[in-house]
Amino acid sequence: MHLSDRITGGFLVLLGALAFWGGSRLPGVPGQDVGPAVFPMVIGGGLVLCGALIALGIGRSFEAPEDDATEALPGLAGRLGRYGTLAALLPPALLLFYVVAVEPLGFLLTGAAMVLVATLALGASWRLAIGVAVCAPPVIHLVFYKLLRVPLPEGLLAAPW
Amino acid sequence: MTALLDGLLMVATFEVAVAILASAVYGMVIGALPGLTATMAIALLVPITFYLSPIAAVATIITSSAMAIFAGDIPGCLMRIPGTPASAAYTDEAYALTRKGQAELALGASLWFSAIGGIVGTVALMILAPALAEVALSFSTYEYFWLSLLGLMCATLVARSSPIKAIAAALLGLLVACVGIENPGGVPRFTFGSTDLLGGIEALPALIGVFAVSEVMRAVASAPPPPIPNRRLGSILGGQWALTKRYQKQMWRGNLIGILIGALPGAGADMAAWVAYATSKRFSQEREKFGTGHPEGLVESGAANNSALAGGWVPALLFGIPGDTITAIAIGVLYMKGLNPGPTLFTEKASSMYALYIVFLVANVLMIPLGIAMIRLSKNILRAPRSAAMPVILLLCAVGAFAIGNNLFAVVIVAAFGVIGFVMERNGYPVAAMVLGIVMGTMVEQNLVSSLIKSDGEVLPFFERPVASGLAALTITALLWPAGVWVLRRLRRAQAAI
Repeated sequence: MHLSDRITGGFLVLLGALAFWGGSRLPGVPGQDVGPAVFPMVIGGGLVLCGALIALGIGRSFEAPEDDATEALPGLAGRLGRYGTLAALLPPALLLFYVVAVEPLGFLLTGAAMVLVATLALGASWRLAIGVAVCAPPVIHLVFYKLLRVPLPEGLLAAPW
Repeated sequence: MTALLDGLLMVATFEVAVAILASAVYGMVIGALPGLTATMAIALLVPITFYLSPIAAVATIITSSAMAIFAGDIPGCLMRIPGTPASAAYTDEAYALTRKGQAELALGASLWFSAIGGIVGTVALMILAPALAEVALSFSTYEYFWLSLLGLMCATLVARSSPIKAIAAALLGLLVACVGIENPGGVPRFTFGSTDLLGGIEALPALIGVFAVSEVMRAVASAPPPPIPNRRLGSILGGQWALTKRYQKQMWRGNLIGILIGALPGAGADMAAWVAYATSKRFSQEREKFGTGHPEGLVESGAANNSALAGGWVPALLFGIPGDTITAIAIGVLYMKGLNPGPTLFTEKASSMYALYIVFLVANVLMIPLGIAMIRLSKNILRAPRSAAMPVILLLCAVGAFAIGNNLFAVVIVAAFGVIGFVMERNGYPVAAMVLGIVMGTMVEQNLVSSLIKSDGEVLPFFERPVASGLAALTITALLWPAGVWVLRRLRRAQAAI
């Protein structure tokens, strides 16, 4: 997911312009010149400026040189080969899975599924993955549900405590 | 005096003792595992602090951050992988010592001078903070505006990153802080009709995303660290007294650099370590030995990063402006626990402040025995498979974010900021600057807008008060500093060419 400075700089210019435009359309406070519009407009302007400078490659001499990893990647990233970096999207995807699944399935099952998939994706053996998936969610549940009284949903499988 | 006694009584409870001990072990383990940083340890800890008493909550943060910053040196020394960014400055030096067969000397120096740095930093905090409180009482919105801006600018001066990208990252954070209805007009801003966004994007889920989830993402897409070689360690504190006597000057200089950089809003332990290491090399009489396993730089920067930790609490307690990313999180906890930062904290809640100092001292003294145990056990802990630790961290991210407000939307924010943090890091945008932007956004805006209303839209009054003009000068220096460095480098290169 390494993008060129042109792309990230261009994105910042676009974002800054949108912030400036969006900010300028906010309603003001009656009888006052300064309102909620000022701050987003200042930031938007700054982002446009910074983005343009980055796209032009100014300030690059301060950056540390890239160290390209050429080692073999384990687990999911290794399977994906050239697209190994895309494996990085798995953790946020699992978090979204948690959001969707935790109410119907309950914390213990959702947590176990999340941990199992993530452990395997990191290249662990099935034995380790199942071990972690079985042990970790109940311990976390115990701490957060019992000690800290966070209302974690029960779903299909309720904890015995 | 009664305040001091009250403070002692507040610390000497069973709850606080358990909190300190548990968070010390937690901080040690997280700090020692490569890829898990001190900031991440604190971000994951915060949901738990909600359920503790005020002093216990602050004690867990102080203790675990001190332990994590020290423990970050352990994998740096044994495997050449810094456990936390604050150890990165001298990882090569420590590893060179290990290769010379002096691992115990390097680890011992890290431990010993970390503890000393922490204690000296605490003493400085005890002296500096109340003294500065007097000054802070006279601050108006102009000074607060410049001070918070200075904090943001200092955060952009991180080593090894383009200053423009860092400023862009800070602006991005400020833009995130714009979301919601908490603005001068009370109108929904950038909420896109979503009710979840009306309250704004909370800093804590964003922090968990940026510091923890993106770390898990990086682990999935990178090779695991090499296995740790088997090595027998000798006496850990054995040679330290000799080092202390020999490098006394360096130690004090390191402490001082740490305190000053820590107290500067926005700049923390990472920067203190880099600056102290560079200073040590610059003024050393044996400069050629640096990088080959020479303890001098280790002494100075090891002391600096721990004293910076205490220094970081100075602006946090006085102004509510974070000294570094750790205090950025701590400020939220202070508000939550009714210890609202501000100069009056030192008069109205004096006993709580004494309790805080005592916790700092206890944590740094406790560091020595626990640190020795940790070094001895490090072989076993560092062998814990990454593939088992990271998934558990991921689950903790989800539960922790949910626990903040029993709101599943926070988990979505965590996921989103994980992706943002990952992409930013990959492309050279420092995430710490963005985080400070998010945390300080509301404050910068409030002070900017109130100042503009007071001045009728004029810019000149921003520079008229003496302290404000001094802070403005500092801020502008920080802004122009990289340009100056660039010009200097150009000139030097031109001279070398002739």
